[in-house]
Amino acid sequence: MLISTILLAAEDLGPNPIAPENKELFWGAGTFLVFLFVMRVFLVPKVRKGMEARYGEIRAGHETAQATRAAAQGDVASYEASLAEVRAEAAARIDKARQALDAERQTKVAEVNTRIAAQRAQADQAIEAARAAARAEVAAAVGSVTTRATQLVLGKSPDAAVVKRAVDSTMSGGRS
Amino acid sequence: MNPTSLLAFEFPPINMLLRWQDVAPTINKVVLIGIAAALIGMGIFLAAARKDPKVAPKGARNLAEVIIEFIEKQIIMQTMGPSGLAWTPFLLSIFIFIYLSNVPGVIPFIQMPATARMGIPAFMALMVWVVYNATGIKHQGPVGYFKSVLFPPGVPKALYILVTPIEIISTFIVRPFSLAVRLFANMLAGHLLLVIFALLSEALFQARDRILIPVGVLPFAVLLFLTGFEVLVAFLQAYIFTTLTAVYINMASHAEH
Repeated sequence: MLISTILLAAEDLGPNPIAPENKELFWGAGTFLVFLFVMRVFLVPKVRKGMEARYGEIRAGHETAQATRAAAQGDVASYEASLAEVRAEAAARIDKARQALDAERQTKVAEVNTRIAAQRAQADQAIEAARAAARAEVAAAVGSVTTRATQLVLGKSPDAAVVKRAVDSTMSGGRS
Repeated sequence: MNPTSLLAFEFPPINMLLRWQDVAPTINKVVLIGIAAALIGMGIFLAAARKDPKVAPKGARNLAEVIIEFIEKQIIMQTMGPSGLAWTPFLLSIFIFIYLSNVPGVIPFIQMPATARMGIPAFMALMVWVVYNATGIKHQGPVGYFKSVLFPPGVPKALYILVTPIEIISTFIVRPFSLAVRLFANMLAGHLLLVIFALLSEALFQARDRILIPVGVLPFAVLLFLTGFEVLVAFLQAYIFTTLTAVYINMASHAEH
């Protein structure tokens, strides 16, 4: 009784909504199998082939770019090495020129110093000669004055040698 | 007062929501969605295949390449490794067909996922079952495959009394059953939820008692949220089905699993 009531109620609700319908199952199967066949055999391989060709080109482009970059880096390194060499050479030349100039300067300074020393010595000699001449003149004048003063005081001329010795002694700081 | 009469809310019989009249002999809305899914999938790849592959991809070509790369990188490489790349067309077809059968559930005026009926999920699960068992037999030989399934290596022999029946049921019955039911039940539940909240919103907006009309905003907001959620579910179910297919094929290919 209960089972027949349930069955009647189930019939009222219609077919089981969970159960697959044959037409949906078979059409779904057929549609998918056709789709799978077309995708597997034609479409995916074609798209994939295109992708691989483009990726290959991109990879080749990358490799070329890397090779170009490496070559450029080599060129830059070579240029920098040449630059460093030129700079070192220029520095050496500047240093050499500086040394040459320094040596020349020192030579010229030494020459000038020698000349100055010679001129100074000549001047010293001239001064000394002038000083000796002046001294001789002063001594002669002092001797003459001394001789005349002695004549006036004593009424006779003093010995010239004595006068000269006394004058020399006086002029040389009082030492007789 | 009877609330049903107050809201004029009547939930239609379940078969009215799921069973569709034939538009041609043996062809109903679900069948049409399945056919459309296959045609759209083929259309995208046909358009993609016709475009020059050497220029930067855009439009259909870009879409096709994104899907292929998604299947290869996010499913095959994660579950099968590089040896599984030969399965790309098969897994790609499964993913596209299921996704395009799921997504009409949220497309206005169609609003029916073909996978919310058991036909397509049942066939797909059955096909996967045949494919992974055939792959296992091909790679390990019939004896080796059934031996590795029934007597998994690394298990103490005494445990085979328990493990072997479990493996038989798991591999040959539960796997295809769960594949089909997971897809079907998720899509059916989503479809019914959308129907419930759409009918509830309509009933509240058209209620005779005017105080109930603003309340209709709540189920309508839930309806909008669930529609967005179903977009995610449509993708997720296709992804899960495809991933599990890849896992099962990979497990059948290698005895150590």
